[in-house]
Amino acid sequence: MLTFTLRRLALGLLMLIALSVLVFVLLRLAPGDPIDAYIDPNVSVSQAEMAAIRARLGLDQPLPVQYLAWLGAAATGDLGYSIQRSGVRVLALVFERIGPTLLLMATGLVLSIVFGIATGIIGAVRRNSTTDVGLSVAAFVGISSPAFLTALLGLYVFSVQFRVAPSGGMLTPGVPFSLGDLLAHLILPAVLLSIGQAALIMRYMRASMLEVLNQDYVRTARAKGVREFFVIVKHALRNALLPVITLIGSTIGMAIGGAIFIESVFNWPGMGLLMVNAVETRDYPVIMGATLVIGACVILVNLVTDITYAAVDPRIQVA
Amino acid sequence: MRLRTLRSALVLTTTLLAPMLALPALAETGKTISGGFDVGPGGFPGNFNPLAATAGLTWLSVYYEPLVIYNADLTAIVGDLAESFEISADQKTYSFKLTSESWHDGEAFTSTDVKFTLEAAKNGDTGSVFAARLGAIESIATPDDRTVVLTLSAPNAGLLDTLTKIMMLPEHALGKVPPADLAKSTWWSTTPVGTGAFKFEKYVTDQYVEVVADEDYRGGRPAVDKLINRYFENSAAAVAALRAGEIQFTYVEADDVATFNGNDQFKVIEGPSFVVNYVGFNQEVPFWKDLKVRQAVMYAIDRKAIIESLYNGAATEANCGYVAEQFVPAGIEPYAYDPEKAKALLAEAGWAEINGDKPITILTYYNNPLSTNVLAAIQAMLAQVGINIVPRAVDSPTYNATVLAAEPNFADFPLIYAGLQDGPEPSNINVGLNETMIPPAGTNALRIRMPEVSAAFDAALGETDATKRDARYQAVCQAMNANLPWATMWVANRYGVSSTSLEHFVWTPAPGGGPFDADPEKWDLGNAQ
Repeated sequence: MLTFTLRRLALGLLMLIALSVLVFVLLRLAPGDPIDAYIDPNVSVSQAEMAAIRARLGLDQPLPVQYLAWLGAAATGDLGYSIQRSGVRVLALVFERIGPTLLLMATGLVLSIVFGIATGIIGAVRRNSTTDVGLSVAAFVGISSPAFLTALLGLYVFSVQFRVAPSGGMLTPGVPFSLGDLLAHLILPAVLLSIGQAALIMRYMRASMLEVLNQDYVRTARAKGVREFFVIVKHALRNALLPVITLIGSTIGMAIGGAIFIESVFNWPGMGLLMVNAVETRDYPVIMGATLVIGACVILVNLVTDITYAAVDPRIQVA
Repeated sequence: MRLRTLRSALVLTTTLLAPMLALPALAETGKTISGGFDVGPGGFPGNFNPLAATAGLTWLSVYYEPLVIYNADLTAIVGDLAESFEISADQKTYSFKLTSESWHDGEAFTSTDVKFTLEAAKNGDTGSVFAARLGAIESIATPDDRTVVLTLSAPNAGLLDTLTKIMMLPEHALGKVPPADLAKSTWWSTTPVGTGAFKFEKYVTDQYVEVVADEDYRGGRPAVDKLINRYFENSAAAVAALRAGEIQFTYVEADDVATFNGNDQFKVIEGPSFVVNYVGFNQEVPFWKDLKVRQAVMYAIDRKAIIESLYNGAATEANCGYVAEQFVPAGIEPYAYDPEKAKALLAEAGWAEINGDKPITILTYYNNPLSTNVLAAIQAMLAQVGINIVPRAVDSPTYNATVLAAEPNFADFPLIYAGLQDGPEPSNINVGLNETMIPPAGTNALRIRMPEVSAAFDAALGETDATKRDARYQAVCQAMNANLPWATMWVANRYGVSSTSLEHFVWTPAPGGGPFDADPEKWDLGNAQ
């Protein structure tokens, strides 16, 4: 078991190094560097001034030297400083952003599960009724609407026109923290993030529920005089949920993609906004650091899964 | 039993959450102005280090101050932390008499701080973007606590303009930090002290910066208790926050202005951008070397029509690098729209043989809808005379990397649509036009080698008699108008929008955010937020 774990750990470390090389090379292939992003083309700045900044940041060094310097520092836990933010350490910045992203994604996921399952059940129980048709149309609109569109529309309607939700940020600036303030800022982006997933879950839930409701054991339950509510909740729902649970797992990736758009539109201080800003400003240390931390998390989760499998099923070690 | 348990749980949860769910507004105390002060081209969100500030000076000057500053309409440089200043007749000695002020931590502001700041700004190791511009300073003398004397090795007409952008820094707080460590110091975004009307309170990473009133400010205690500078991903997000009533001011794109006109809840602030827009001819591309071809481009573009229809009249036609009256001589060629003349000039130059209708890329970093429409109009107008241009819009880093590359591929930018800051200091455009400014010395990326233009700039930069300065820049304008290193288009206006509840608020769309004398201590809110 120890050998297996060590081998997997070494493999994970190699994958992390490979990931960092890949990101480093891709970044350098993209046109422009942090100094090109730093300079407003409308403002007169001499090449000598730009060269001095490049030299100070070590961007004038050969690429292998730059990479090894970064790797050496990263090995000691130092991911460097953000170029576009004076004096801000990358590691602190990245850890600061993980929480808000998880909060937004988790809230969006919970909302989409609750709304998706509830509306799916209603649609199936009231099959072909006006409610069912209305919900189905809404679900198709939800599935077809890209996240950036729903985000902008939601912002315009609820923040600008009706002023019922803040237009952005996670907390009201200059005001002491309160849970109410956090929830007020969270609810609109989370609801908008959940729309696409909720619509998808609703369609699956409805189809699955319809299938189950036609099963003999449901008919038997009804024949025995069980109240309709309990027939649906106790007998049908449990079986209908199985394929939906599988679907929910596979839509988490969709939630990550959606979160990047939502974070940009609502200025939500998460990983998505951080990465978008960093790419726009060619903030190499932030892009490298954020990618490394995300990559490390993914590799770690896979490692834990592998080790768990191995512990449960000894044949995996042999394989 | 189950129901009772559920009810009890609900009551308990509500009781526990109630204090936390209290409305945020109840917790807010004092008058607070929130704005998107770093939105738009004059902003630099996330930069707290004035030595590295290529923009963002509107906000930085709320808690830091320079020795001298532009007045609010950017027509003159006046004293700020220097209560008076004198320049010797030979333009080589600058004497500043300092005002009586203290830093936000209570220490006195003295000439030692000025010397420390200017030395740090001169030293490239600190990450200063001003190092090259301060190269002419030979010595910095501090005869007493209130006097600073700068001695220059040669006259430098742009020095005062540069000094407006250099915020004074406290020697007692930063003097012990090695120059190379200054740029990455956390001091800038955690515990900075300045001399401005507001004191730095806190920075919530990438969300907002909060400053509070300095009770002892020499201009009087600020009218509001707090200023908050909110960060936005783009100006559209800031506009949404303004409309939602969450902020009281932001820069807005020209396209958005119409939606605020006639709305009595908002006030539109308009001012010249001090950025001259031009179509630049890459002189490494042979067919632009012929003056007749460059003249044809000028005659083929109906600038008046573009200004009227796309800018709604809010731009000033430019026939050289300047539009400010004092720098534009009478009698220069107006290049009025004349497509027939353009065709004739092209025929004389043999355009059909040297390029004909082969597509010519026009590279730009302007990505907003207005610029897209402007380029489409220019494309259509040039097509009418037989010049086939193809716009290519990229982001600023890609643009800079393309045109300022050490070994550029000139075929990537035979034409550019760009802008350069032409004021309030007129020498700014020298860096893009003078032959001596061809990279790596400057940003003359188009490799313009026009002796008459370079000589005019050299004469203007070397002029020590202030009374002759305007005439020297008129000569620059004349040379540009005759030689057409660029097809100059216009200087467009830029806009900010404030809530009408904001009183005594001063803002102007200065390049890089100024700074300018905005008197932030007088900003007030007429109605409670």
